[in-house]
Amino acid sequence: MKPAPFEYVRPGSLAEALDALARHAPAGRILAGGQSLVPMMNLRLVKPAVLIDINRVPGLADIRVDGGELVIGALARHAALLASELVAKHCPLMVEAYRCVAHGPIRNRGTLGGNISHADPASEMPAVLAACDAKIGVRSAKRARTIPATEFFTGPLTTALAEGEMVTEIRIPTAKPGQGAAWQEAANRQGDFAMAGVAAIVTVAGGKCTHASVAVAGMERPGVRLPAVEKKLVGTTLDDAAITAAASMASEAVRPSGSYHADPIYKRELAETLTARALAAARERAR
Amino acid sequence: MALIPISLKVNGTRFERAVEPRRLLSDFLREDLGLKATHVGCEHGVCGTCTVLMDGEAVRSCLSFAVQADGCEVRTADGLAQGGKLSALQQAFWEKHGLQCGFCTPGMLMVATELLERNAKPTKAEIEEAVSSNLCRCTGYYNIVESVQRAAEMMQEGAK
Amino acid sequence: MTATFPKHIPAEGYIPPSRQQEPPRKSYKYIGQNLKRVEDPRLLTGNGQYIDDIVLPNMAHAAVLRSDRAHARIKRIDTSKAKALAGVYLVLTGAEAKEMTGATAQFASPPVVQYCLAVDRVRHVGEAVAAVVAENRYVAEDACDLIEVEYQDLPVVVDPEAAMTSSGDAVLHPERGPNNIAQHRTFTFGPVQEDFAKADVVVKRTLRWGRSGAQPLETVGCIAAYEPGSGKFTMHTNSSFLNYVGWLVGASLGVPASKLNLIPCVTGGSFGSKLFTHKVMTLAGTLARAAGRPVKYLEDRLDNITSCDNHGSDRLYRCELALKRDGTMQSLRFQVIDDYGAYFQFGVGTHGNSLCQIVGPYRINSIQMELIAVLTNKCQQGAYRGFGSEVTNWMLERMADAAADELKMDPIELRRRNLIQPGQFPYVIPSGNLYDSGNYPAVLEEALRIAELPKWNKIRDEARAKGRCVGIGIATCQERSVFSATEFWSLNGTENPGFTLTSSPESTQIRIDPTGAIHVTLGSPFWGNSPETMAVQIVAEQFQVDPSQVNIVYADTQSGFNSTGPGGSRFTVMIAGAIVGAAKQVKDKLLRVSGHMMEADVGDLEFRAGKIGVKGVPGKEKTIGEVALFAHYFRLNLPAGDAFASGLDANYVYDHPLTTMPAADRSHLGIFYPIMGHMCHLALVEVDPKTGKVAILDYVAVHDAGTVVNPMTLAGHIRGGTAQGIGTALYEKFHYDETGQLVTGTFADYLIPTLAEMPPAIRVGHVETPSPFTEYGIKGGGEGGRMGAPGALSRAIEDALSQYGVRCDELPLTPRKVRELVRAGEKR
Repeated sequence: MKPAPFEYVRPGSLAEALDALARHAPAGRILAGGQSLVPMMNLRLVKPAVLIDINRVPGLADIRVDGGELVIGALARHAALLASELVAKHCPLMVEAYRCVAHGPIRNRGTLGGNISHADPASEMPAVLAACDAKIGVRSAKRARTIPATEFFTGPLTTALAEGEMVTEIRIPTAKPGQGAAWQEAANRQGDFAMAGVAAIVTVAGGKCTHASVAVAGMERPGVRLPAVEKKLVGTTLDDAAITAAASMASEAVRPSGSYHADPIYKRELAETLTARALAAARERAR
Repeated sequence: MALIPISLKVNGTRFERAVEPRRLLSDFLREDLGLKATHVGCEHGVCGTCTVLMDGEAVRSCLSFAVQADGCEVRTADGLAQGGKLSALQQAFWEKHGLQCGFCTPGMLMVATELLERNAKPTKAEIEEAVSSNLCRCTGYYNIVESVQRAAEMMQEGAK
Repeated sequence: MTATFPKHIPAEGYIPPSRQQEPPRKSYKYIGQNLKRVEDPRLLTGNGQYIDDIVLPNMAHAAVLRSDRAHARIKRIDTSKAKALAGVYLVLTGAEAKEMTGATAQFASPPVVQYCLAVDRVRHVGEAVAAVVAENRYVAEDACDLIEVEYQDLPVVVDPEAAMTSSGDAVLHPERGPNNIAQHRTFTFGPVQEDFAKADVVVKRTLRWGRSGAQPLETVGCIAAYEPGSGKFTMHTNSSFLNYVGWLVGASLGVPASKLNLIPCVTGGSFGSKLFTHKVMTLAGTLARAAGRPVKYLEDRLDNITSCDNHGSDRLYRCELALKRDGTMQSLRFQVIDDYGAYFQFGVGTHGNSLCQIVGPYRINSIQMELIAVLTNKCQQGAYRGFGSEVTNWMLERMADAAADELKMDPIELRRRNLIQPGQFPYVIPSGNLYDSGNYPAVLEEALRIAELPKWNKIRDEARAKGRCVGIGIATCQERSVFSATEFWSLNGTENPGFTLTSSPESTQIRIDPTGAIHVTLGSPFWGNSPETMAVQIVAEQFQVDPSQVNIVYADTQSGFNSTGPGGSRFTVMIAGAIVGAAKQVKDKLLRVSGHMMEADVGDLEFRAGKIGVKGVPGKEKTIGEVALFAHYFRLNLPAGDAFASGLDANYVYDHPLTTMPAADRSHLGIFYPIMGHMCHLALVEVDPKTGKVAILDYVAVHDAGTVVNPMTLAGHIRGGTAQGIGTALYEKFHYDETGQLVTGTFADYLIPTLAEMPPAIRVGHVETPSPFTEYGIKGGGEGGRMGAPGALSRAIEDALSQYGVRCDELPLTPRKVRELVRAGEKR
């Protein structure tokens, strides 16, 4: 299956890229890793008239720590993030989730910015970023702004990006002492998209949970947070009973639409099961 | 539609061509350059049959456009045998019955090449992780893992 | 020979005498060796020359427009915009193609008519509606996007039971009948009613085998060229059956076989799905003739998944197994509804296939099958590794396990009690087929030994004590080999059985050139099986020469002899027969000529290490090369008469070694698939009851494929076949929704297992009971593990989830499905 024809633009700087995005809006689409976009183009599910190839734009792939944040350039490849010592230290949740993301050659090319811009509800990273309360740095030719990850994903394959905007960086609060995080996923095969996936972060101080953050992949939109579950955990000792009680709220808190691989009932069950497991693992790591 | 000029190295030879932006790298290699080792199995990035090395990294050539390879060094399974002789990796596959129909084999050879270039002594788990990237419908995969193990062994012996 | 017969089959003269020329031996020089494959070097360097690698001058590229709906009349097709696109040579609708080309080949009787492009209606999503020929595939697809089709939707049927009562516009082929039932017939073999009346226990199950398919990594393709002056077609293609019935493609194209040459290519996997790719060849030929230049049509993955014409069996079984209280099986009766999809190319051949081993390895006295074949709005079935008998293998194992549960017996013990015993062979089963040899208890014991069953039991018990769901499953199954053509028609109505062909030969030509090199011609293609390696090992054994002296050549249809090709695990057995037959003639001549050269009696000569020499006299010998040179060039130095004509060559057609006609009343089907292999598979699994995910902790597969030519390549088929069996059992399904949309229409949703889904190892063992009927006693083994894995895995999951009272009666056992079973068990 061959893609439909398109015009190709290769900007050499961020300013050129934003300019091209503005000029070619709405038909212009960013080409980063292409691991989500190109299959859709080959299947002729999408036919962008213009592709803006940002792979040669310098300075967009950095991984660094700035203040209390891990700052990741939008063009950072999944493989680089999986291998990064900084990410391992400051966001181990991301590394754990990356082990469920696709396969080596896909991770070599795919980018975090591209992945979240594509916003597949079954994708892992949106849930990780939502759980971390990450902030998405977005720019257009006219302005720069920051969108909380919890507000960035508005629906399946849709984001809060306005016309002419692209993701430039992702800022993640670094892991703090007393924090434990875990990723749990159910997929058909190793590397497949999640039928359901849960990112859980708990902070324990003085034997009690002071903060909890739970986000789910595979539901009605990417990176769904579960505030009801989180609230139920705060103030508890995170013992098994507390986790079970909180996780049982997960199945009611999600609205999955279901597919051939997983119907809504099954997805709700998975949300509950994986929330419980992720919380138990996160609790152990918070020690 | 304007053609885009590109210049790239493939298996050590430099080529200059003008291509349609939408020309997939897999088709460019096979049809424009006549390098038939790279096979096409699905064209939506799942099977890995089309895997090549781009600047030393394994990538799915059906998910790349030829224009993106401009200025890059691409290596395909066509370039593995040198001077009319099978490489150690190819010999290992032959010895260990690592192929049946041979269609997935070039892709497997390239993920193995990436692995062995980064890590001359991979563990079995590391080899299994690499082989898990690609589909094979014939072998059940075990002999492919053994082939890569044998190749690592042979390359270590050769290096001595 | 003494044999075992059911009472309703007359023993007298039933089994023809064996034609075996080469009995099995204790040791060989080349047979039984793990020779590195002859095929590999060129495949490893990328020089395989698969269909997509072939380039002809002036070649154009085709793409097809596929239907986006499951059932509709084609009211209007407007191709004008497509034709006007730059780079487009030709656009053809089905109606236009029909003016030049007839229906595609098919083997059902009465026929179900199919054209290479849908004519007045589409019958499944993905069916080809129009074709474009353009300068490259990109432009051809652009042109497809510009074709406008107006459809009038018709009712869609995707449920096989609903298809039985379809009427009116829901009927796919109204010319064939008032509903979507393609065939409905009951077959009774032996005293079924009596056996049920006498039984102590009757176990009943409803079983559903989901639709999966071969999906090799290479799709189907054909490059067709038409020379208008001579009116001749030349086609390169990755189909099989070329030297068997390839001329049927010419019939579709309206040319005699003398105007058609089909050239085989190295094929990137088939598993049955490239048995006879007549539609692709017919389409490519039509387009080449109309376009006036060679045309390549290569399916892409979407074309292949939706429209390959080779989906596997899609069956609903309602079964009853009658047993005595001691667990001995008496009789099996069942109704099977098989959803064939929109066409019916092989008729009910997949059920003929099932009937050849319908009692499995068990001493069941009688069988009744009510067979209902239906047509629905899905891609049609074709062949997939097992060709229907892998399904009945699964069905039998499910029934055996069900019986064990009901009788509160150990499933292994129940099987032991029912196995046909070594002294009973040849064993004729109620359907008439014969099992040539076997030792099923030995295979079972070897599997248990390799698995170290007490260790597995301990693992299971310890896991259960900790609340984990671990289970063990077993399957003892048959793997028939070497199909007879009668299976294609013997289940058709006797008034109109169709083309009642009874030939399924394999041929070869062996030619020794003046230098002593041995050239062996195969009339069948390479599929990923190892035909060249098999031929080289057998020829090397026959002539006692080094394998490097043997060259393999593939014949096209102009020069090839009757060759049925790979399929039904037949190829190694059949090529061995052909080689032995041809080699005998060439060896006799070599002995005559060398006897003359050395003034020795032919009876005193032997073949040894590439030479022919006098027995017991080490120095008195000539190399085969020396004898060949003499035979080719020195006619006047040899005696007169045809026996000394110049050269060293022979052709040999080897017919099926053991097949007979079905009874006229079909009270039995004759002998039609008697070279009978056997396997025992054991699986140890862990199931996560909350997610439904299954992990295979350990796996053992012991196979008996008679005399083994190359243990390494056979083990490859066992493991690769088991991998496909794991796919069928746990991951793969062509799923159509109620509107007929193929929901699992790409590799993102049609889930082929990766290494990560496989058990840590598949531990292979083997037992050899040679066949009395084939050369060297070889049996086929190519279909391998797919025949046994579904049964072993179904039981293992059931066992793991026994606390939930789960029954695994539907495949595939996806995580969703397993969780559903557990949920129902939790509620009970």
